[in-house]
Amino acid sequence: MRTITFGIALVFLSVCSAMFFAQAPPPSPGTGTPLGPMVSGTDLSGSYRWINHQDAPLFTAAGDIADWGGIPLNDAARLYALSWPASRQTVKQQQCMGYVAPYTWMSPGNHRLWEERDPFTQRLVAIRYWGQIAQVDRTIYMDGRPHPPAYAPHTFAGFSTGKFEGNVLTVTTTHIKRGWLRANGAPQSDAATVTEHLIRHGDTITILAVVDDPVYLSEPMSKTSLLARQAIAPDAWLYACDDSEQILGRKNDYVPSHFFGQNPYYQEYSDKNKVPLLGAFGGRETMYPEFLAAVKDRAGSDNAAKAKMRPSGPPQASRAPDPTPTDGNIHVFHVGGNVYMLTGDGANIAVQVGPQGGLLVDTGAGRLSDKVLAEIGKLSSRPIQFIVNTSFHADHVGGNKKLQAAGADPSLTGSFFSNQFADAGQGATVIGHQNVQTRMQEQKPPLDAPPSDTYFEDRRRKYHNEEPVEIFPMPNATTDGDSIVHFRRSDVIVAGDIFTTTQYPFIDVKNGGSVQGEIRALNFILDRTVYQHDEDGGTWIIPGHGRVTNEWEVAEYRDMLVIIRDRVQAMIKNGATLDQVKSARLTADYDPRFGATTGPWTTDMFVEAVYTSLKNPPQTASAQ
Amino acid sequence: MSRSLLVPFLVLAASFTAHSQGPGGRGGTPPTPRAAAPFDMTGYWVSVVNEDWRWRMFPNKGDYAGIPLNPEGRKVADAWDPAKDDAAGEQCKGYGAPGIMRVPSRFHITWQDDQTLKIETDAGRQVRMFHFGSTPASSADLQGVSKAEWEFARPGVGFAIAGDRGGGPVGSLKVTTTNVRPGYLRRNGVPYSGNAKLTEYYDLVREANGVTYLVLTSTLEDPTYLTQPWITAAHFKKQADATGWNPTPCSVR
Repeated sequence: MRTITFGIALVFLSVCSAMFFAQAPPPSPGTGTPLGPMVSGTDLSGSYRWINHQDAPLFTAAGDIADWGGIPLNDAARLYALSWPASRQTVKQQQCMGYVAPYTWMSPGNHRLWEERDPFTQRLVAIRYWGQIAQVDRTIYMDGRPHPPAYAPHTFAGFSTGKFEGNVLTVTTTHIKRGWLRANGAPQSDAATVTEHLIRHGDTITILAVVDDPVYLSEPMSKTSLLARQAIAPDAWLYACDDSEQILGRKNDYVPSHFFGQNPYYQEYSDKNKVPLLGAFGGRETMYPEFLAAVKDRAGSDNAAKAKMRPSGPPQASRAPDPTPTDGNIHVFHVGGNVYMLTGDGANIAVQVGPQGGLLVDTGAGRLSDKVLAEIGKLSSRPIQFIVNTSFHADHVGGNKKLQAAGADPSLTGSFFSNQFADAGQGATVIGHQNVQTRMQEQKPPLDAPPSDTYFEDRRRKYHNEEPVEIFPMPNATTDGDSIVHFRRSDVIVAGDIFTTTQYPFIDVKNGGSVQGEIRALNFILDRTVYQHDEDGGTWIIPGHGRVTNEWEVAEYRDMLVIIRDRVQAMIKNGATLDQVKSARLTADYDPRFGATTGPWTTDMFVEAVYTSLKNPPQTASAQ
Repeated sequence: MSRSLLVPFLVLAASFTAHSQGPGGRGGTPPTPRAAAPFDMTGYWVSVVNEDWRWRMFPNKGDYAGIPLNPEGRKVADAWDPAKDDAAGEQCKGYGAPGIMRVPSRFHITWQDDQTLKIETDAGRQVRMFHFGSTPASSADLQGVSKAEWEFARPGVGFAIAGDRGGGPVGSLKVTTTNVRPGYLRRNGVPYSGNAKLTEYYDLVREANGVTYLVLTSTLEDPTYLTQPWITAAHFKKQADATGWNPTPCSVR
C-alpha cells in the first residue's frame, strides 16, 4: 500500500510540475469555458491611503487655477479650463460630482481593494475598489466579459475589465462620465478610455494610468499615483454629499464662467511659483525634457501662452464617437422599469411595455420600422396602443405610419368615438403637441400619420401599464412643438431633441425654436430628476440621439448652452454682427465634443440659431 | 505522518521548489542575469514629466512640498546657495542616484556585461551601474553603489497550478543603492545625506497601442534629513531610437 501511495504521489507531482512549467496558454476571454478563465496574480486586497509625497499640493487632485504643466491638454481643453471658475461649484448639479479614474487615486480619503470569487469554483470574478471620497464604487471584471455597447449609460467609475500581465494588473475602463483630470478646470471627456496598471511592491501599490481622450488631449496622458497599505483597516468609508442652495435668489439659467481671455487669475500660479506661463498652461510639449529649452526666451514664451487664451485655428469637429449603431439593425437597451430604448433608426425610440399594450415615444426615421416592430414584439405580445411624438422632425416621426398601423387602441373601440370615426381603435393613437400635427401637415408632401390626439399648453397625463405617464409641452425649445415624456414609476424621462449626447441642440428657429426655450426645457428636466448618489444613477434620461444618461449629462449640456448663450449675448450687446460672432469661435471649448464642420447641423448653424433667437426671441420664450 | 497527508505534502513541496527557482532554474548552470531578465529594459527612454511637474521642471529654492524633511533638512534646503555650488564645481549635486531619475532627461539603458546593467542620462551626463551579484568596492560617489536583482513574480503562495500568466518569466528589477555622496533630491538644494539608502523597483508595461512604459517606484530612507521614507514614482516612455538624445552638462539652475 505504501508503494501505491508513493506512486500516486509521483504521478500527481509530475502532472502538476508539467502544468506549472508548460505555461499553457490562458483561455481566451469569454470563451473556452463557461466558468470563465482561471486567473491568478498579485493579491492587491487591503485598505490603502494615497501617498502624497509627490504632487502634494494637488490634495483632492485640485491644484491652483492654470496649474496644468505636464498635462497634454489640447487648445479646446485649455479654453475650457480657463473659462472655468471655482464658483462653478455653486451650481447645484456640480456640487456632488463623482470622481473618475485616475483622478480618484489622488483623493485623500481611504481606499479599499478586495477580490470577489465565485463561491463554488473560487475563480476570480472581479476585483472591487471602494474610494471613500465621492464613494467611488468600482468593479473590475476579471472574467472576460465584454464592455457594454456604446449607447449604454456612463458612470463616474466607468466599466472596467482587468487582466494580469505578469505581476501587473492592467485595467481598461470605458463608459466614464465627464470628469476631471485635475479639479481646477482641466477636463476629462466622456469619450476617454483609461488604462491603469497596478503594481504592488510590498505595502505600496504604484498605479500608472494612461488617459486616452480624443476630445481634450492631444496625446494620451500618463501619470503615476501611489497607495500605501494600511496595517489597520480604517473606519471612515463614507462621503456625505447633498447638493443645496448656495446662493439664494439666483436664476437657474446662471452658470458662472469666464469669457475667453478674461480669466483674472490665469497668471497667479505661474507668478507665485516662478513657472513659465507657457508651462503652466500645459500641452503635450510640457511633458518632455525639451520643454526646458523652449522657454529659455521667457518673454516670447509668455506671449505664446497668452495667445492660447483665445480660440485660434480652424473650427474643430467632434472627436467623440457617435454611439448610435449603424449596422442596419435595431438595438434594444433596457433603461429602467418597463421602459426600453430602441436605437439604430434615426432618433431614439422609447417603448413602455405592460399589460395594456405598448406606449412608444417617437418612431425613428422609418427606414427600419419592420425591425422596430419585430423587436417590440419580443418585449410584448400586446399591440402598440399609444405613440407620442416629441417633435415633428422626420427622424422622430418617420416610422409613425407603419408603427401606428401595426398597433391598436382598444380604449376607443365601443366608445362614442366609434360612432364618429369608422376607423376608431384601428391602429395606435398618435399623441403630440398641436404644432407637431400642424408642422407635419404643412410639409410638402405632408408627413404620414400626424398626431390625432393633441394638446397646447398643459401636460397630458395617462396611467398606462400601471404607471403614471406625463407628457409635458416644452415651448420654443428646439421647435414650437417639443414635448418630453416622464415615466414616473420607471423614472425614465424621454427628452427628444431637447437633449442629445451627439451634437449641439438642433434649434430650429424657423419652426419656433430658441436657445432660451431650450435652456428652459433642460432646466425643466433637471427639476424632475433625482440622482442616486453623487450624480450617478437615479432618474434615467433617453436623449433624442445618443446614449442613455442621468441628470449629470443634462446638467452639463445645460451649462454649456448657458455659457455659449452668455458669450453670444455679450457680443450682441457690443453690437457684433452674426459673422463677427461666428468668427469669434465662441464654442471652441466644446467643439471637439459636439461640433460639426459638415453635415446637416454644423456648429455655424447652431451659433446662428443662438444669435438669431437671442436677437429675435419668440414671444413665449423667455428665461424663467 | 498519515498516509492521507503524504500526497498533498509532496505536491506542496514540489510547488515551492518550482517557484523558488525562477526562470531556467531546473538544474544545470544558472542563467546570467542578462539571460534571466524577465523583460528587456535596454534602449532609449524619455521621462514623461507629469507627476511633480513643477519641482522637476522648475524647482525653486525652499520649495520642498511633499518631501518629509526633518528640521535639519529644511534648514539645509533653506540655506542653499546655488552660486556657492557653481563656484565649488558642484553643479552635479542634483544629479545623484536619489534624484537623477526624476530629472527631465533621456535615458540610454544597455548591458555593460552579463552582470551589469548601465543607465546613461543625457541630462547631466550621468552613468549608473546596476550590479547583479557582487558589487565593487568604491568610495562614495554621486551614483553610489547599486546592487540589482530580479524579483520573479510567483503565481501565489502555496499550492498553485498554471494560471492566466501567459508564457515567459515575469517580474521586476529591484535595485538597492547605498554609499552615495551627499546631494540634492531636487535641483533646488533639498538635501540627502551619505546615509541615504535608495530602493528602486523597475517594471515594464505595454499599452495596447504599442507604447511601452518603464515604471519606477522609489523609496528613499535617510535618517539624517527625512522623518520617514520618501516614496515616489516616475515613468519613462520607450523611444524607437536615439532621436532627441542631447547630452548636456550638469546645471545648478
